[in-house]
Amino acid sequence: MATDEPLAPFLETRPEGLYCPAFEAAIDPPVAASRAIVSHAHSDHAAPGHEEICATPETIALYRRRNPDWAGRARELRYGERLERQGVTLELYPAGHVLGSAQIFFECDGRSLLFTGDFKRRVSRTAVPAAARPAEILATEATFGLPVFRFPPRKEIEERLLAACRRAFEEEKTPILLAYGLGKSQEVALALGEAGIPTVLHGAAWKLLPEFEAAGHSFPLSRAYETGPAKPGEALVVPPSCARTPVVRNVKRRRTVYLSGWATREASRADFDADVLLPMSDHADFPELLQHVSDVAPRRVVTLHGYARDFARILLARGIPAEPLPSGTERLAREEEA
Amino acid sequence: MTEYRRLAETLDSVAKERGKLAKIERLAETLGGLVGEELAVSARLLSGSPFAEWEQAVTSVGWVTMAKAASEVTGWDLETIGACATAIGDLGEAVGLLLTDAPTEGLSVLEVDARLRELSRERKAAGKQAAVAEMLRRSSPVEAKYLVKTLSGSLRIGADVTTIEEAIAQGLGADREAVARARRDCGDIGETAVAAREGRLAEIRFRLFHPIGFMLATPIEVAEEVASELPLFAIEDKFDGIRAHAHKSDGRVALFSRTLDDVTAQFPEIASELATLPGSFLLDGEVLAWRDGRPDSFFRLQRRLGRKAPDPEVLEEIPVAFMAYDCLAREGRPLFEEAWTERRRELEAISPDGALRVSTVFRVETPAELDRLFDEARERGNEGLMLKRVDSTYQAGKRGRAWRKYKKALATLDVVVTAVQQGNGKRAGMLSDYTFAVKDGDRFVNIGKAYSGLTDEEIRLMGTVFRKITVARYGPVRAVEPQVVLEVSFDSIQKSTRHKSGFALRFPRIVRLRPDKTAGEVDTLQTVAEIYERIAER
Repeated sequence: MATDEPLAPFLETRPEGLYCPAFEAAIDPPVAASRAIVSHAHSDHAAPGHEEICATPETIALYRRRNPDWAGRARELRYGERLERQGVTLELYPAGHVLGSAQIFFECDGRSLLFTGDFKRRVSRTAVPAAARPAEILATEATFGLPVFRFPPRKEIEERLLAACRRAFEEEKTPILLAYGLGKSQEVALALGEAGIPTVLHGAAWKLLPEFEAAGHSFPLSRAYETGPAKPGEALVVPPSCARTPVVRNVKRRRTVYLSGWATREASRADFDADVLLPMSDHADFPELLQHVSDVAPRRVVTLHGYARDFARILLARGIPAEPLPSGTERLAREEEA
Repeated sequence: MTEYRRLAETLDSVAKERGKLAKIERLAETLGGLVGEELAVSARLLSGSPFAEWEQAVTSVGWVTMAKAASEVTGWDLETIGACATAIGDLGEAVGLLLTDAPTEGLSVLEVDARLRELSRERKAAGKQAAVAEMLRRSSPVEAKYLVKTLSGSLRIGADVTTIEEAIAQGLGADREAVARARRDCGDIGETAVAAREGRLAEIRFRLFHPIGFMLATPIEVAEEVASELPLFAIEDKFDGIRAHAHKSDGRVALFSRTLDDVTAQFPEIASELATLPGSFLLDGEVLAWRDGRPDSFFRLQRRLGRKAPDPEVLEEIPVAFMAYDCLAREGRPLFEEAWTERRRELEAISPDGALRVSTVFRVETPAELDRLFDEARERGNEGLMLKRVDSTYQAGKRGRAWRKYKKALATLDVVVTAVQQGNGKRAGMLSDYTFAVKDGDRFVNIGKAYSGLTDEEIRLMGTVFRKITVARYGPVRAVEPQVVLEVSFDSIQKSTRHKSGFALRFPRIVRLRPDKTAGEVDTLQTVAEIYERIAER
């Protein structure tokens, strides 16, 4: 097998990313494409302006919300529903990353490929946990593909989150929760809401609530930041990119919590001006990545994102043929959405 | 028996607290419950320096030795250990994350102390590795994290020895100033803690031959900055040598460098000269290359450095001399708390016949006079001027505004960044160390490396740029496309084999980013060579 096309015959690597010749579609292209298969609605996977999108109904709804002027065609594909073209079948599986996120399974003449997209196997409130679909080739993300990245169970994370908020209230401070706008913010709002703590959501997260409500979640204790700054007893939820902006800086008495897999690094305390680091991630940690490889039981693994090179080397050392996706097709570090 | 785990957990909680007062509180709680040798050892370990300053002991365990020991204990190969350390930004943190929290035997603080002392005596890397591995094997994750940080020489908990001094004062009910004075005089935060607990701080006396910290100066860029204070400053030439403290008593002399290393053997002629002077004293001054009755260039002095004992030819070729400019103790009386004027009087009284070389002191009234004096100092072959408040005490180990240094950059160069590296300490995890190059024909040749003079905000911004233009990674170092242009200032240029250009900038500092310039517009190697020639002539 030619090593320069490790995902053949299903996918090829092009300068702008992965491409599926059978469906004539780009996979999560970073720029507008004529046809895109989109694994989930985070902006670095779902670029605006595609002419045609194939994704789960939830992902398409989120995409429409984020791109209100979008006028392209949508091809909704539910989990487990199959599409076929030029002898290749395509099927979406839950990825556990965020609402609507999918792994993409390709099959043709007894050969198969599972593309994980961003995934996690841990249980969360709004995403169906990723399950392993056995495949011949596994193309897995490796954002946290080093053994230092082991994340605590969701229950423990939520307890620590509540404790941080309660301490803030005791000290008459506003808890500021730095969480990405799609997925983590809603998870945080649900966890806090259940504990009776009202949340003020940044617009990026607030505007997506209808899609989460359509999926059966409710946010009775949440309101939009536009309606006014956080009052005593309320927690403010904003994206990490706001950490050093007036939205946060103007809150004089605050206790900032950084919620991300990158919070494993103590240096992120300084990066985000954070009082508390909570490794709450929507990505698989290292043990999950290994478990997924083991469950999918592929003949070959191709790694992408983050520590792709190191994770491939670690798999190789365990006797599993693995290689990182050739560089150039690798997107830059996407720390924001981890 | 106090477990090391207790100290490690204290350090971890200190790192998590952001306010100085809360940090002190955590440290004080732990120190408050300890006595005797355990208190002494704990105070040192909490300060991040496992030995007393005067002991002159170092564990000297290199990064690779620690990484190999971590590999042995965690079962991860060395490459993975290295990748993890880079990803996390700190080897100690990474090792802590790689260990599982299975019950371990644990180490007591006294055991840690004994083992670190054994490490400092162990000469072979293999022996050091085995000793570190053995400690890690008995450690829980949090213990391993702080053991490795201790061995790395930096705890990164946002607390330094002065924070520990405050914690001793608070936790053991002592006076803050008395604690600071005692530590300065005995050179041991451990002994200080025990004395504070036992109410004996006042009994601690300054002892000669224990190295103490150097008082440091804050730079000024232009004379006008100090215009209003000028009459209050005593002014001396800023000598281009090696700063040293000279201790002398009963014919014995010891010279300690800024790093508190004993460098006496490197400068035998200074030791024998000072030994002939009357009385006992502690002097602050400068080791200078000396020729024809005046200071010679730093480049010549450099040939005397780094040798345990210089051979006779070098001794003959490059004689050195000690230029004294402060007196910190005389005849058993510490003078740290005395004003500069009083210390100067003591300094001048040591050798009325001029056998001790003492700096010349100038006084000026106006910035214009200061600038004239500056030019004269340069004429004399010195770097610039030192300004010392005549009413100031000697603040050992501190950089304050009572002493100011006035240097002017030689020139600035426009250079292009070729590699970046994560910084240490406060800037851990940020790409804050830049290697930069000048143009030589159609290629770029490195000429220096600078810790960024940019603000945290700028560094963070630049980090994003550098991540995008990274072309290769070698451990913590990223080679980047030559795109980002900086203006750097420096104190001097010297020949160097370290960089491809054949030159190295001395004390390079980043003046500003030059987004208006492209890599094609940076200065050339030719320009660098011309500046070098100008300096060499001086």
